[in-house]
Amino acid sequence: MSDFDICRFPLRVEHTWCFSDFHLPDFGALYSNQMALPTITEQNIKDLLPSVTGAIPSGRGGQKIVFRIELEGQAFALKFALLSDAFQPDIADIDETVLRARRETQIMQECKSPHIVKVGPVDLGTAAIDGQNVLYFSEEFIDGQALSDAIRESGPLTVPSVVKLGQQMCSAIDELWSLGKIHRDIKPSNIMQRSHETNFVLLDAGLAFDVAGESISAGFLVGTMAYFSPEQFDYTNRRVMDFRSDMFSLGVTLYEAATGQHPFLSPTTSTPHLYTKITKHNPPSPSSINPLIPGSLDKVILRMMGKSPHLRYRRISQLQEALALI
Amino acid sequence: MALFVQHGHGKSDKIDAALESTSVEGVIFGARNEKIENIESCVKSVRERGGKVLFDPQFHVSTLVPANDRFLPDYPYYKVGRTAADFVGIKKLAGYVKSTLDFQLNLAPDRLLSPTVIFDSFESNWCQTALNLADASLDYHAGLAGAPPLLLSFVIGEQALSSRTELDAFLDQVTSWDSLAGTYVILSREESSYSQRFDPAHLAKALYLTYVLGNINGFEVINGFSDFCGLLHRCVGGTAFATGWSQGLRQFHRRSFKKQKAGGQPARYRYTSAPLLSSILLSELQQIYENGKLDAVLSGVPLDALITEATSPEESDWNGRWSELHHWESLHRLENVVGHDVSESINAMEEKIVAARELYVGLAEEGVVFGQRTQPEEHLDQWSEAISSFREMASL
Ligand SMILES: Nc1ncnc2c1ncn2[C@@H]1O[C@H](COP(=O)(O)OP(=O)(O)OP(=O)(O)O)[C@@H](O)[C@H]1O
Repeated sequence: MSDFDICRFPLRVEHTWCFSDFHLPDFGALYSNQMALPTITEQNIKDLLPSVTGAIPSGRGGQKIVFRIELEGQAFALKFALLSDAFQPDIADIDETVLRARRETQIMQECKSPHIVKVGPVDLGTAAIDGQNVLYFSEEFIDGQALSDAIRESGPLTVPSVVKLGQQMCSAIDELWSLGKIHRDIKPSNIMQRSHETNFVLLDAGLAFDVAGESISAGFLVGTMAYFSPEQFDYTNRRVMDFRSDMFSLGVTLYEAATGQHPFLSPTTSTPHLYTKITKHNPPSPSSINPLIPGSLDKVILRMMGKSPHLRYRRISQLQEALALI
Repeated sequence: MALFVQHGHGKSDKIDAALESTSVEGVIFGARNEKIENIESCVKSVRERGGKVLFDPQFHVSTLVPANDRFLPDYPYYKVGRTAADFVGIKKLAGYVKSTLDFQLNLAPDRLLSPTVIFDSFESNWCQTALNLADASLDYHAGLAGAPPLLLSFVIGEQALSSRTELDAFLDQVTSWDSLAGTYVILSREESSYSQRFDPAHLAKALYLTYVLGNINGFEVINGFSDFCGLLHRCVGGTAFATGWSQGLRQFHRRSFKKQKAGGQPARYRYTSAPLLSSILLSELQQIYENGKLDAVLSGVPLDALITEATSPEESDWNGRWSELHHWESLHRLENVVGHDVSESINAMEEKIVAARELYVGLAEEGVVFGQRTQPEEHLDQWSEAISSFREMASL
């Protein structure tokens, strides 16, 4: 079996309770999680990008397959996602989307934060593989582990690590917001921790929501509902959507990192139930689950998860200050 | 200390006297009641007495018809009878903002107050206009080097506080303005006459608004025309509150700014009782005295001496002027209810409410009759209910 055989899986995640099942139909799906990506082989990558060597599958998510590749001796991540035309049969729409996504990644190149994954040298492009349209792009390769895997394997993080995670993600959210962007998909599987200096890096930022224009995410990499802010459920678009939405998702992520448990989700949670929980239910304080958590961290995490943006921190700097005091 | 005099008609030397009694921190001048040529000297006189100065441009009166706007038409930013069409277009709004703030800049107040329009629903176009004016004010203020901090004015019809969802959306918007320093909030009251009654559902949301802006988001919040309820606002995070001298100036009623037929009864003198958390008529104070309960209702402020040193309340020299000064002294004294945090403060306020209710019951048992009011302590039940709902809303 070649390395690539491992990748012959549908993109649908096969957990017992699957986050990607919660995607809302209203958002449509350019990356359809309902359809399997074609099998992608080393030869496919070679045909597509002749200068790439040593492609090794190195991860998968709800929507993407990730390869570690080398280009002129340097490692990068190459990501493939299904650009479904089943929901968007008009090919012009897809072209338009790719154009917009390309503009987005160009903006992302401006990001200086060490906690946002850097755009790689392979430009965003599309390819037809086995009759399917796929989108590919590259990022710096992060030698490390996804936070979701770390929590699953080793349980909750230590308090100093939770604080560090919070502070570093704050710097990422802050930088995105200074570019007028909301990530919309902050969650443990989109955060990696580097093996060496143990710093955290936010993934998928290049394809985040653009507040200035129409949202490319209206049909793009939609956030996973379990980490959605209450205002992300508001289809009437009457609630303010700003960095405080990302702050909520980060709050849920910190809760999970601190306790090993999701504040709203359990194996039996149905979609409507999840919606009610996120919008109405106040979860137990993290310290009631993990007694090692100090009250000050409890307070910060619960405030980040305020049901309305106006109940959260109004500036990232305020949140950073609160974290620094823990 | 965070009590401001809300300036209105019939100023005489009331402001000076209030500042000298040190129960108030400063004055919020209202353009409607001061000739434009006098306003500078008024401001100067407050400054000389060490008071803070704010100038409410009362721009919002321009949309009321027929407006009872007195001196307002002399102010450069004001025009009578503005309609929705006058607020279409960014340029127009920017023009209103510029003329309103430029006028205040000349007075060098401690805070600038933005122009606004009254709205009765957070969903209405008028609310949108108020938000657009606020946004334009922040923009203009950002370009004013060395200007005093800007407070965004909002004049909110009490009815708007019926919907929680709309209030939430409004608060999301206001708290999203990064450069915001604070707000000056006036609630346009529905009660037909001066009283401490307040629909509990509305009051709870009004408190939530102050709590979110003042306590959670750390903005300066001045609750204009808030009178006794200003104390509740202070408990939940308000920075300061204001009330006027006569009953008509203590709370904001839209009808005061609309032309009305002349008439009405001459005001009867009142005594503000801190323990009763209300202003009662002098005749009621007399009955209480006759029942030997005077000490229980006295506010415990210096001006009480006028009553205690007289043979009886009705034989004292009590008059409108003393009543006004005494009202500020009593509210100032009641401000000691504000503690270290919101929970502590509202607990202390609730204790005062319980004590006041017991006092009312005791007085009624002694045969004291409070005018025509069958339930003089009704406002206390409403406040209690409002505090409970507020606690729930704020998850306290
Ligand atoms: N730049 C990278 N360097 C190294 N590994 C990566 C990189 N990006 C992603 N991975 C790995 O691949 C996994 C899936 O990547 P990614 O989160 O981009 O996919 P996804 O389909 O968007 O996932 P999800 O639906 O869970 O958000 C990550 O959890 C991580 O383990």
